[in-house]
Amino acid sequence: MPLDLSYKGKQIAAFTFEVDRSKIRELCAAIGDANPVFTDPQAAKKEGYADTPAPLTFASLITFCGYPGIWQSMCEMGIDIKRLLHAKEEYEYFAPIYPGDKLNAVICVDALRGGAMEMASFKTTYTRGGQPVLIARMTIIVPPATK
Amino acid sequence: MAIVFDSISEGDALPSLTKPEITQLQLIKYAGASGDFNPIHTIPDKAREAGLEGTIVHGMLIMGILGQMVSGWAGVVNVVKFGVSFKAITRPGDILSAKGTVKRKYEENGRKFLDCALYVEDANGEIKIEGKATVLAV
Repeated sequence: MPLDLSYKGKQIAAFTFEVDRSKIRELCAAIGDANPVFTDPQAAKKEGYADTPAPLTFASLITFCGYPGIWQSMCEMGIDIKRLLHAKEEYEYFAPIYPGDKLNAVICVDALRGGAMEMASFKTTYTRGGQPVLIARMTIIVPPATK
Repeated sequence: MAIVFDSISEGDALPSLTKPEITQLQLIKYAGASGDFNPIHTIPDKAREAGLEGTIVHGMLIMGILGQMVSGWAGVVNVVKFGVSFKAITRPGDILSAKGTVKRKYEENGRKFLDCALYVEDANGEIKIEGKATVLAV
């Protein structure tokens, strides 16, 4: 199925995610980041944080855990998820994310290109109480199928 | 915790970070933590079905390692932008190092910024990801 270019500019998902302290700890453990600022509230407060902040790549966890339907959405757009490659990931941060935060996330198709090397870019805006905390852009490419 | 603007010169290297060898177990942990259950990272047979020789490391784990280096240096709250491009496949057994350089220092609207060029390479010097971060300094 070819890429459905009519998705360009469209919103494909909106979901909410409550930030759990244990997910921050798990992600840091998997990365092997032992910085206590992420796991120890006292250490975080000493550094001036209100609580243990989320690490820089936490947005990806919010999307995969908060919206596991992302793969199905890509399939519906005509993306061959077996062949897709993650090309780029970009973040703009506006405020720290803390345990207990209830975040709203909206995923839009930012750019879409057909042809031999298909490309799709997804922009996810995460807000808390209506205020943006983070904008993420994920770009994937689908190389031509090998015969 | 924050970087002191006047202590930095353009061209300065960021403190590099070399990680222990990536293991298959780490990929299983990363899948569970991040929610990215694409089986090419965790199940060797599924990776081979997808045309790979075996499991490959989540790109986002490698970005996470670069993030560890940047946030450990500048403080997570001071990172205002962070982006990467994924360049090469990484496999369990690879040893990765995260490195960077300050490219530009400037003031804008009374705030002090450092633009940094970043990358992660393996022990053979193959670049796995490269990227940029903008961090606030004091």
